[in-house]
Amino acid sequence: MAEHATHDHHAEAHEAHSTRFYWMVGAVLAVITTIEVAIFLVKDAIGHELFLAILFLLSIAKGAGVVMFFMHLRGDARIFQFVFVVPLTFAVTLCLAFLTIFSHHVGIAG
Amino acid sequence: MSATSHAHHDEAGQAPLVGSLGVDSRKLGLWAFIGSETLFFTALITTHLIFYARTKAQLMADGMLAHMDPKHFLGINLTSVLAAILLASSLTMVLALAASKSKEWAKFRFWLLATIILGSSFVLGQAYEFTHLYAEGLKLAPQYVFEGETVKSLFGVTFFTMTGFHGLHVTIGVIWLLAVYFKVQRFAASPENPMDVELVGLYWHFVDLVWVAIFTLIYLI
Repeated sequence: MAEHATHDHHAEAHEAHSTRFYWMVGAVLAVITTIEVAIFLVKDAIGHELFLAILFLLSIAKGAGVVMFFMHLRGDARIFQFVFVVPLTFAVTLCLAFLTIFSHHVGIAG
Repeated sequence: MSATSHAHHDEAGQAPLVGSLGVDSRKLGLWAFIGSETLFFTALITTHLIFYARTKAQLMADGMLAHMDPKHFLGINLTSVLAAILLASSLTMVLALAASKSKEWAKFRFWLLATIILGSSFVLGQAYEFTHLYAEGLKLAPQYVFEGETVKSLFGVTFFTMTGFHGLHVTIGVIWLLAVYFKVQRFAASPENPMDVELVGLYWHFVDLVWVAIFTLIYLI
């Protein structure tokens, strides 16, 4: 029992990082934001599909950086990952489904 | 039972509020709240994207998309700065948390104060943007006016609802940060301090995360 509780306690304690590490993550996120804006400025030259693909990849990387390292979800207790990732997955799925169904639908409230 | 309680005592001798799942209940509650907020903001973003697509389709059918696209209202100069401010505030927040865990209270106060200032700057910047958009013709109304012409669209309603709720969350975050700042200053020896900072930090990073999504999906695309 005590062993189990101690194990959970260790699972809850998230990874400890140095302040230097946080500065590095912050710098990487700043670079990603700069690239996003730069790509926006040249989007006509690179084509819409490539622009969207690069932008989504960069945004996902930025969001993942914030969640994993600033919110410490990486290395934290699995229950925290569960209560965040499940609604996030549900939300993204609903968003994509609703966009597909309703974006060009003309009916009530149309 | 006593062994379990003993295992959960921290260095300061204070027992965290550990529930049956073996984690701090306050932190679990906040993560669950963040999960529900994820659904809330996704609903707002999705609604905005749908009504923007419909407005675009209507304008295209009328041959007016090129010069009446409501996206013309949304510049990225100011919002890029706002994105940088919020990102910087996430960094200062995590530095404040690290300082609170190592009990470096002077550093903690500096970084938390920096977070508060950056958060307040974001709110002021957003208030400026809203004022500017209202003056240009984009309002919280089922139509917008662009270069003297009125277009029926819910673009303004969904845009201000979504970004307004985000701004409200940032404002609440600033108030929460101020409360934690003064609480830690008043009760510097409290063993609860690092957890208080961690909880407000989680909320603050989430608010930043929402802006990452809004900045990409609404302003850049």
